[in-house]
Amino acid sequence: MNALAEFYARHSQLIDQIGINAILALSLSVSLQAGQLALAQAAFMAIAAYVTAILTLTYHWPIVATILVAVIVATLVGAALAYPVRRLRGVFLAIATIGFGEIVRVIANNLGITGGAEGMSGLPQDANTATIYAALAIVALVLFSLSRTKFALAVALVREDEHAAAGVGVDVGAVRTLSLALGGAIAGLAGALYAHSSAFITPTDFGFERMEQILVWCVIGGVTSPLGAVLGATFLSVLPELIRFLADYREITNGVILLLVIVFAPGGLASLWRRGPVRVRV
Amino acid sequence: MVAQQLLNGLFLGAVYALFAVGYTLVFGVLDILNLAHAAIFTASAFAAFSLAAAGVPLPLAFLGAAAVGGVLGVLLDRAAFAPLRRRNAGTLVPLISSIGVAIIIGAVLRGIYGVDERHFVTGALDTAQAIHLGPVTFTTVELTIFVAAVALMVGLSWVLRATTLGRRIRAVAQDRIAAALLGVDLERTIAATFFIASSLGGAAGVLTGLEYNSVTLDMGSPIELKGLAIIILGGMGSVTGAVIGGFIIGAVETLAIALGLSEWRDAITFGVMFVILVARPSGLFGKRALRQA
Amino acid sequence: MNRTSVPALALLAVVALVAPSGASSKGPAAGKTVHIGVIADVTGGAGVYGTPQKNAYELANEDIKSGKLDAGGASLTFDVQDAASDGAQVVNLMQKFMTDGSTPLVLGPTLSGEAFKAFPIAARANFPVMGTSTTAEGVTAMGPSVYRDSLAESQVIPTTVKRTHDKWHYKTAAVIYGDDNAFTKTDGDIFTRELKAAGVDVVDTETFHIKDTDFQPALTRIESKHPDVIAIGALFPEATKIIQQAGKLGIKAHMIGGNGLNAPDMYSVAGPSAQGTVVGAAWYSGAKYPSNLDFVKSYTAKYGKGPDQFAAQSYAAAQIVAYLVAHGATTKDEMLSGLHNVRVIQTVLGPIGFDPNRDVKSSPVILSIVKDGFTYFH
Repeated sequence: MNALAEFYARHSQLIDQIGINAILALSLSVSLQAGQLALAQAAFMAIAAYVTAILTLTYHWPIVATILVAVIVATLVGAALAYPVRRLRGVFLAIATIGFGEIVRVIANNLGITGGAEGMSGLPQDANTATIYAALAIVALVLFSLSRTKFALAVALVREDEHAAAGVGVDVGAVRTLSLALGGAIAGLAGALYAHSSAFITPTDFGFERMEQILVWCVIGGVTSPLGAVLGATFLSVLPELIRFLADYREITNGVILLLVIVFAPGGLASLWRRGPVRVRV
Repeated sequence: MVAQQLLNGLFLGAVYALFAVGYTLVFGVLDILNLAHAAIFTASAFAAFSLAAAGVPLPLAFLGAAAVGGVLGVLLDRAAFAPLRRRNAGTLVPLISSIGVAIIIGAVLRGIYGVDERHFVTGALDTAQAIHLGPVTFTTVELTIFVAAVALMVGLSWVLRATTLGRRIRAVAQDRIAAALLGVDLERTIAATFFIASSLGGAAGVLTGLEYNSVTLDMGSPIELKGLAIIILGGMGSVTGAVIGGFIIGAVETLAIALGLSEWRDAITFGVMFVILVARPSGLFGKRALRQA
Repeated sequence: MNRTSVPALALLAVVALVAPSGASSKGPAAGKTVHIGVIADVTGGAGVYGTPQKNAYELANEDIKSGKLDAGGASLTFDVQDAASDGAQVVNLMQKFMTDGSTPLVLGPTLSGEAFKAFPIAARANFPVMGTSTTAEGVTAMGPSVYRDSLAESQVIPTTVKRTHDKWHYKTAAVIYGDDNAFTKTDGDIFTRELKAAGVDVVDTETFHIKDTDFQPALTRIESKHPDVIAIGALFPEATKIIQQAGKLGIKAHMIGGNGLNAPDMYSVAGPSAQGTVVGAAWYSGAKYPSNLDFVKSYTAKYGKGPDQFAAQSYAAAQIVAYLVAHGATTKDEMLSGLHNVRVIQTVLGPIGFDPNRDVKSSPVILSIVKDGFTYFH
């Protein structure tokens, strides 16, 4: 038991990061499961993180209340975003949502209330590991129970063939809106937790680099399942520390690993468990 | 001042357009976003630097570096996209493999050149004449770069319209299966597309490096996202659209600065893109209607 | 406080005097191994700043082995770890060093934003950390174990403005600064504040983004207002282009800048337009302090190019730590105590100490860019 306690004392920050990253990856996998390449997770994360930070630092709200409000705001933004992008698909949707992310980042960078480029420091770091992993468990539970509903069926139909889905009476627009809203909620939760576990947030925490990172976690882990998302986030969060001994060669190793995994297992790490070919068309 | 700002926008836009054209070519033919395009942009700039430093005259160094970019593009396809094509892996997965290649290219460049900014040490740049034409000022270097960018885009247009290769590229872009049925060698056409697209992106990199006399490891990141906005604006798969989109974005950026809205510049660029996308999802010149996922 | 460290602390408290650097001596920690953690962005977006830092520490490691840098006979090493410009890695490295049981002090990280993420963790555990390039406001306020050896812009810019205003008596100014980087934004804010306080009319303010390369639209706007002076809040890559393009547009205004312009190849990159640009800096490569000229020579010989301010401030940190170790500090409490009690240490930045806020006590140096580098501004 002592060894475990020591391990935790030495790596608690990384453990917390993995938890939050897993939640972020799950939020994207929700969109990907619906066949939507909606890359707005970093933006939802940003909005939630800033709402949380402002409520915490300026208004001294308790942690649970800030998380709740942040998640609600992020969900509403997700639902609202579904409207202007309702006719966009594939790469068009991806770029539009990346653009949305940039707009959010610039707004955060230029407003006084968000601290601008100087960010918001002095955050209380009061979300402990238990809180983060409890949130992760809740998200996993919610997604698992959703996967057994007709909604999940509708989502899968929309992903495979939108026209056929509409043909059998699925309200495609509603499915897309709901999945974006759900993605917003989960990413918002991650963002709020991020603001409560980090001492400092700044607009560059939530830019295209972050979005790219989340995308890589999901695809490397495997887009067809939430397990894949968690796997990818865990593996890639730990990787920098695992290969730290490579020093100068860490960067190129990173790129090579990405390339090799994706070329030899396009279905991601999760697909290595499965039997048979995995259809990964998004 | 307005005239000078317009000119600034024009010069900026030309290079943006040249870069965006490479993105849109690859997308048109393969439906994928090549996120290693910016890395090739940077690699070509460094190649030009090395060639120039070795004494190669600038125009040759430019062509050589652009060719290096082209070769890198072909290698990129071989390593990151072709294997996935064979496995029918869709359009999302190649995005990730291109990110992997981008990281590798960046790491290799850092290994060779280190982190310091590099500069072209050449007489031609030092003695750049400033030309005053009425209310505007520009240098011979800027003019040369503008002319080179435009020439390349005109050349591309000609290749696409008037050559057999161009016809094959357009056929594959239109309908890959039909083109294959009609006897077009898919893999060779795709390789040729990558060579052209990446050498244009590389050329944009060299021109950018020459324009500001600065070659750095991260010179590609500002243009990476802008390129995406441009091809959406202009219409995915449309070369004309990418060109016009490039100039529009160059103008929007310059205008934003001229109006004192510099810190909102990126938001404005993406805001404009967003509005156009929502109003006209196929972009200004998009021949493709909405693509199904 | 354990018993064996009391004599060491007493020694430190008493020997808080100027100590000559150079001759290797046998201090209370002779023979002991002291491992100092360093967090630097060697790769990634901030790699151009973290690499000189790493270089300086590696040079320091060599100088300690050879005796040039006196650590009192202790085996003192600086272990530089790359955070790859990733805030998560910075935090993980800080935790790693703090808990590995053999690191009494951590230097770095490279960026102020990273410091804001990692220092609170150290501060809560009363673990000593020293920033060598994290010049934002509020860094040392994070806790009594947080020190900094790099002059903040708020400590330098007032002097820059005053000295140039006394000499040139300018009436109008424009300020151009990066709005998406905490360092450059701070520059812009402080320049604006100080210029106004000096009675100067700030006729135009322009902003740019980090990694921008084309400043002509902004400079064209500035020139339309004809300011006497242009204040530049930028880091090296942008600063050189601003100056070069200003020259190209025929702008004749005097130019003044912050720490970001203090790099050896300003003139060679920016060109003749840089001549006469005034830079308020924390370090001058030509300053005749005992260890400075030698440091510049060794660094240039080892790395093929001269050190910049990032390297100098890192080497100074190494000198500070070596001084503490030479006087017996090997544990974190001894380091803290040593830092708290030290009066003056001779470094490449000159004679420095720490003020009650744990910021460095050192004089800014106002420089002028010339063909081969810099000279003092008169």
